[in-house]
Amino acid sequence: MSDNEFVNEAIERLEWNDAKVEATPQSKARAVTRRVALGGGAGAVAAFMLAPAAQALAASSSSVFGTGKKYHFVFVNHVTTNPFFTPTISGIQDACNLLGCSYQWTGSETSNVAQMVTAFNTAIAGNADGIAIPLIDPKAFNAPTAKALAKGIPVLSYNADEPTNGRLAYIGQDLFVSGQDMGQRIKSLVPSGNVALFIATPGSANIQPRINGAESVLKGSATKYTVTATGAALPQELSTIESFWQGHTSYKGLFAVDGGSTQAVFQTIQKYNLRGKGVKGGGYDLTPITQQLLAAGEGDFTIDQQPYLQGFLPTLELFLYHASDRLSGIADVDTGLKFLDKTTVKPYNSTKSRYEGTSSKVGVTNS
Amino acid sequence: MIHSDPDAAAPARGEEQPRSAPRAVLSPWTLIKRFLTMREGSISVVTIALIVYFSLSIPAFFTSSNFQTLLTYFTWLAILAGGEVFLMINGEIDLSIGGVYLFAPLLFYEIVGGGISLVPAVILTILVCTGIGVVNGVVTAILGVNSFITTLGTLFALEGLTLIVSHAEQLNMPGSAVSTSANGSSHLGTFASIFGAGVYSELVWAVVIIAIMQIALTRTRWGLHTIAVGSNRIAAAEAGVKVRLVVIRNFMVCSSLAGLVGIMEAVRSQSISPDPSSSNSVLLDAIAAAVIGGTLLAGGSGTIVGAFIGALFLGVLQDGLAIKGVNADYLDFYLGIAILFAMLINVYVGRVRRRTGVG
Repeated sequence: MSDNEFVNEAIERLEWNDAKVEATPQSKARAVTRRVALGGGAGAVAAFMLAPAAQALAASSSSVFGTGKKYHFVFVNHVTTNPFFTPTISGIQDACNLLGCSYQWTGSETSNVAQMVTAFNTAIAGNADGIAIPLIDPKAFNAPTAKALAKGIPVLSYNADEPTNGRLAYIGQDLFVSGQDMGQRIKSLVPSGNVALFIATPGSANIQPRINGAESVLKGSATKYTVTATGAALPQELSTIESFWQGHTSYKGLFAVDGGSTQAVFQTIQKYNLRGKGVKGGGYDLTPITQQLLAAGEGDFTIDQQPYLQGFLPTLELFLYHASDRLSGIADVDTGLKFLDKTTVKPYNSTKSRYEGTSSKVGVTNS
Repeated sequence: MIHSDPDAAAPARGEEQPRSAPRAVLSPWTLIKRFLTMREGSISVVTIALIVYFSLSIPAFFTSSNFQTLLTYFTWLAILAGGEVFLMINGEIDLSIGGVYLFAPLLFYEIVGGGISLVPAVILTILVCTGIGVVNGVVTAILGVNSFITTLGTLFALEGLTLIVSHAEQLNMPGSAVSTSANGSSHLGTFASIFGAGVYSELVWAVVIIAIMQIALTRTRWGLHTIAVGSNRIAAAEAGVKVRLVVIRNFMVCSSLAGLVGIMEAVRSQSISPDPSSSNSVLLDAIAAAVIGGTLLAGGSGTIVGAFIGALFLGVLQDGLAIKGVNADYLDFYLGIAILFAMLINVYVGRVRRRTGVG
């Protein structure tokens, strides 16, 4: 299959999905933009990323792209202070430094949709050159997105998506699909018997779809599951998982869909020496303790969703959208589903970097 | 108010018991009545009922292994709530304990990073937390800003400072490393065993601190002045109580304890997490434990032992629901209903207490 065929197939598949939704001026504009973007934009993004760093540094962005304008992009977020997004902010900073742009990190600390809509509208009123936002609500962001697009401000979604929104593209992990993949992994680790699924705060838009995805795979299978809430504070999550284990010592696996609970699962496995009993464990994201315990064999896997790319790529796309005068730049990107195990987690332990939120310094250093 | 003597009714039944008979001959019913009408009595009964319920319905609940897990739910909370009680009796509130809880382990990390050894670093950290209490106290008592607003300000400022200093990165807590031996068992260092990670470490801290504070509240001039300031500030000032000093001192104690708890909980979880959502839930739990234990939000009255039992109640409830494996979506619902139910019993018994004039 040639590259063109692949792109055409992708466009057809996306438009088939769109056909299920009523056509609006925004959706038509999006379809056109997507055709342009997938036809050339994806290549442009890849080519840009692969360009040697030295060359990019030697030439200023104006000599490469023919525009010296200092674009200002606004990133609205649902949990602005959550350490998960530290690498995302580093990604935005790096792209901005590379391209001579500036950015604002704003939104809500507590997934408060009204606060996010206010931040979104403020960005539109402030004539931002581009807006990126995790779409954690199915409807609330439709009106601001339409308003921004009508004003010529490109809007992208990152980290969480809602396809019926008029945004130009989504950059991030598909949370539900990642949950399904986790469910498959759980089924292969524990083909039959009971497993626990832990979630810090049920109903949170950035973690609930994962558990829904896992449930959709496990439902009706020989792997029986229970879903348990663990709480917002890490020590509390640890206590809850320890309690749960006391009451369910026949369980064959403990799994979690958020970073804190995943760390607590591995700590519980270590404390009660559950690997000796054959208990499986896994989850999401990489806290320093999660990495260490996984490398020490106290768990089976953790899933990395590359938060750095969720900041770097939207900035790059928004810049290219302007630099190419809307001819290119916009493309859906799946930042992936990286299953890490005892062996593949090792480089994460031996290094510190902006890419994993373990350092604010430039580059990768040995720890 | 007329204080009736609840003991008086007991000996009246038999002529053979002279008035000077030792208290040991009180009938069991009188003892139960006296216990129930104590400020901490009603919540104790509710907590015991809850323990009995969970013990009967979940075999794994009443075990030594779960007892050890249960400790991690409430011991640290009791310490936080104990500090808060002193301020609440004053008619003040300290919301910044959440911020101090979050900031203290990070400060400890930075001090240890500066080359100071672990125990002196703990002392230095707690001293800084005491200083935060001084700021809260001075702004509230001398500059006259409402304590809710003062401590809301310091809460946000400390949460922000934690994010700035940590670059919003999660860090490993110094001195908390757990090593695993060849046979799979895990081992703690001495520092970690004493400061939070040892099985009974937080319990020992909590019992000692609660005992000292209960004695301070009921047996010392400081406690007397604290209650006097909360009951009637003007009258206390006219009687010669240094009102401002009492308030500032209570803020200092509250912040210092929050700092200690912050360090111990970070040692236990091996991590310094800069996420403010955790500090906010901890803060709410501490105030809830104090109020459930019988301390009035309006001030003038409170009990440290009650705060300990209030924390135990919340701990038993959370541990019991977790060990039962309650579905995630139902957890908060059960938690909320149970707290409401407990408080209704509390209020009812409180009414009986007022009628008998005891407590």
